[in-house]
Amino acid sequence: MKLLLIHSLIAGVAVYFYFQHPDAIIPYTALSTALLFLVLFSLLWNSSYFYHRSYYRKMPKLLHFIMFFMKELFVANMKIAYDIITPHYHMSPTVLAFPLRLKTDLEISILANMIGLTPGTLSIDVSADRKFLYVHTLYLKHKDIEQLKLHIKNGFERRILELTA
Amino acid sequence: MEREIDWVLIKDIISCIFILFGVCIMLIASIGLLRFPDFYIRMSAITKGATLGLGMILLGMGIYFNQPGVLLKVIAIMVFTSITAPVAAHVIGRAAVQNKIPFWEKTNLKEFQEYMAKEHLEQSVNHDKYTVEETTRQKDVDGAADIE
Amino acid sequence: MSIFQITLIIAMIMLSICLLLTAIRFAIGPTLPDRVTAFDLFVANVIGIIVIYTELTHNEDFIDVAMILSLFGFLGSISFAYYIIRVTK
Repeated sequence: MKLLLIHSLIAGVAVYFYFQHPDAIIPYTALSTALLFLVLFSLLWNSSYFYHRSYYRKMPKLLHFIMFFMKELFVANMKIAYDIITPHYHMSPTVLAFPLRLKTDLEISILANMIGLTPGTLSIDVSADRKFLYVHTLYLKHKDIEQLKLHIKNGFERRILELTA
Repeated sequence: MEREIDWVLIKDIISCIFILFGVCIMLIASIGLLRFPDFYIRMSAITKGATLGLGMILLGMGIYFNQPGVLLKVIAIMVFTSITAPVAAHVIGRAAVQNKIPFWEKTNLKEFQEYMAKEHLEQSVNHDKYTVEETTRQKDVDGAADIE
Repeated sequence: MSIFQITLIIAMIMLSICLLLTAIRFAIGPTLPDRVTAFDLFVANVIGIIVIYTELTHNEDFIDVAMILSLFGFLGSISFAYYIIRVTK
């Protein structure tokens, strides 16, 4: 986490000073700047193979997590849009108690944020002994609560555990 | 024969597509805010739709201006909204539960009973709260008319 | 008038309709949290309008306004939520 911030800061400052130079070859546009930043960042990431092995292994998982999250956000949004436009409701709202495996404050807040950001689900509260997260959800396939719990467990919670472990 | 590709036009068209898509999502979210039957459903459906739509519009603007400074600001706004929207939704939803806002009558509350029993919120299962409030208000109005 | 400007004006009109619908919910919302949600969507719509106005006028200074508005919208909804919790106890 700390290394990620340091690397992106180094890459950003390097890009800034490169474009301060009067006869830079690359044109000064958003696309070229972003590409240069990404190239520098991936070079720095590759160099971390020699001094920070776990960071080197976690970076693809982080990318995978972001891609998975984007896909989830998009698909669920389309579902809700379909429900809004067509005249009948297809939803079956439920409040479920999701048993938490995560322990620390940071992990629980990341999970609650992720659940809150996917449309159709809303994290209401954490029980006082931190064993359950109460989630209000809209769509249940075949009225099966356990299946949705399994989906959250294998989708979000496993990935967060992989990232923070 | 060499054909010149008009990159500016392509950039404009991509930006247009992003903006129209984002605006459509925003419009659908607004219609949903009016249509849905219950506070929690509105809450969980709407705020994120607005976040996605806003992100699309901002991305369209970043593509259109094509300057690094603007792109940085756009990314800052997108990250900020996507971090704060679920926090706000969570806090407002929690306040609503504490405030005994009723659920929709078709909501399955089986696993939530324990929590409500612990926090003394059983009254919030009363789905007729809106109608009860309205009738009492009506009585008040009638009473006031009688006094006059 | 180019196609791009026509698209932007259409987007502006659609966002204005959004503002109108949100205002209706703000007016009829049966409870206070409903109104806070409507306020949230209101701020998002206004940010969208500012962004499209920025593109129409080619003036980049308005982006800072959108940034500050997103910050203050978040603060507003959070403080409203705490007000709701406090007022019921």
